[in-house]
Amino acid sequence: MSSSETAEGAVTGGEVTDGVVAGGERAGAVRLGHVTHRYGAVTAVGPVDLTVPPGEFLVLVGASGCGKSTLLRLIAGFEQPTHGSVRVSGSVPRPGETAGVVFQTPRLFPWRTVGGNIDLALRYAGVDRARRGEHRARLLARVGLEGTEKRRTWEISGGQQQRVAIARALAAEHPLLLLDEPFAALDALTRERLQEDVRRVAGQTGRTTVFVTHSADEAVFLGSRIVVLTKSPGTVALDLPIPLPRGDVDAEELRESREFGELRARVAHAVKSAAAA
Amino acid sequence: MSTTPRLEEADPVPVPAEGPVRRRPRAPGRLRHVLLPLASLVLFLVLWQVSAASGTWSETLVPPPARVWDAFVDVSTTHDGVRGYNGTYLVEHLGISLRRIAFGAGTGIAAGVVFGLLMGTVRPLRSLFEPWITFLRTLPPLAYFSLLVIWLGINEEPKITLLAVAAFPPVAVSTTTAVAAVPRSLVEAARALGGSRWDVVKDIVVPSALPETFTGVRLAVGVAYSSLVAAELVNGLPGIGGMVKDAANYNNTPVVFVGIIAIGVSGLVIDGLLLRLERAVVPWRGRA
Repeated sequence: MSSSETAEGAVTGGEVTDGVVAGGERAGAVRLGHVTHRYGAVTAVGPVDLTVPPGEFLVLVGASGCGKSTLLRLIAGFEQPTHGSVRVSGSVPRPGETAGVVFQTPRLFPWRTVGGNIDLALRYAGVDRARRGEHRARLLARVGLEGTEKRRTWEISGGQQQRVAIARALAAEHPLLLLDEPFAALDALTRERLQEDVRRVAGQTGRTTVFVTHSADEAVFLGSRIVVLTKSPGTVALDLPIPLPRGDVDAEELRESREFGELRARVAHAVKSAAAA
Repeated sequence: MSTTPRLEEADPVPVPAEGPVRRRPRAPGRLRHVLLPLASLVLFLVLWQVSAASGTWSETLVPPPARVWDAFVDVSTTHDGVRGYNGTYLVEHLGISLRRIAFGAGTGIAAGVVFGLLMGTVRPLRSLFEPWITFLRTLPPLAYFSLLVIWLGINEEPKITLLAVAAFPPVAVSTTTAVAAVPRSLVEAARALGGSRWDVVKDIVVPSALPETFTGVRLAVGVAYSSLVAAELVNGLPGIGGMVKDAANYNNTPVVFVGIIAIGVSGLVIDGLLLRLERAVVPWRGRA
């Protein structure tokens, strides 16, 4: 894995020029304006006001049922908020057009091989057939799965499946990446490895990232900023910048550092009291 | 395979907890799949011989295995100047019938897939057609065969049509159900990757329905097979069903037996081939 891989800061999207889109909003920026979402009579989340500047790694933390996944679905454009507005890069988000999404389960297509899953994503992203092979190899290398193109999706481990899902979500090179508790179902060791990879990939690609989790440990390790949500309906209980070093760092050292421990304790406490409130 | 350190975290093949047990020890497997069916066949022949020899029934009703074998040889060769049965060898009768099934059931299966896709994706169409298909499915083919003869004459048309009509409902029903039950999570994943509505139908809905459609196809071929004798009731010679019907008219029980066995065995072979085809075309069956 070459850590010297060039960052893809400059985004080549339709209406994006020099990283600035119409309305002066930077590509990948997320803006939630007094967002509330209801399922029938039940208010799942809100009201939430939140602005995520480009390049930030935001982690949404909260106990289960606090509406953090709902918030992510709103940002992905799968659902429209009952009240308030959601804007990504200055416009209303639409699935497949504004963000790459990684779900709790890999959601790979079993009728396609590992490489076939990536190819489909590249095709949807408008990459010519001739250039897909090269893109596919680069994406698989980025998640450490070189040479697995021909494997069947059920032949690889759960951790590898989630890696493929991440590579697939990166294919379209959207300036925003959304991850919804992607490592919840994995064993502790695999989870730590994938966390390190996601931290590295986000740093290399310069993408804005919104990551949902219920683990304070995961949040502090990954995020450059953490937002803790109260229990249902979720509102912002704590908005905390994480001043830990980013970029090429020793993950082991970071996890064992004193600041890491303090931040983790603080976030864990906030999550607990937010859930109890 | 080029292994990176990262790959080592992987357990090589995850076995889904809820999945069926696939691998059984070798020897008992062979016993179950080969020896047991063989033993039951031998037992059947013995029982057949014993009951035929007991004299309880006349030879016309229950001919002994040896007479059926003689009939088999008779209809497969030219003897005393007579070529096979009614001028056609057994394999030719079978071949003609199989061609009717290929055309008839093939048409019915193709129509079933198209209707299934439409009904599974467009709800009003499902409400519109489903009662009719259920109605059709419950009808025994003999019930509408007379009508087909009145409308279409006595040549190939009513036979092919009957087989098509019989094969259509199982495929339509299984495809409809499978299309309607496409995992929402996968549809959402495809949309998140930027797939259009049409992309989702083509790349997600169709392949996810394929295993169930295949089950429908196997059912359809079975139904077409069991309708074969009905389809060849009128002017069915040459044809294996026509042969059975004709031989029955003359109380030629041994030839009826030969015809029934030929239909049954070829049906088994075809189902086995379809099963193989299914494994090749939908290897992901049960893995999603």
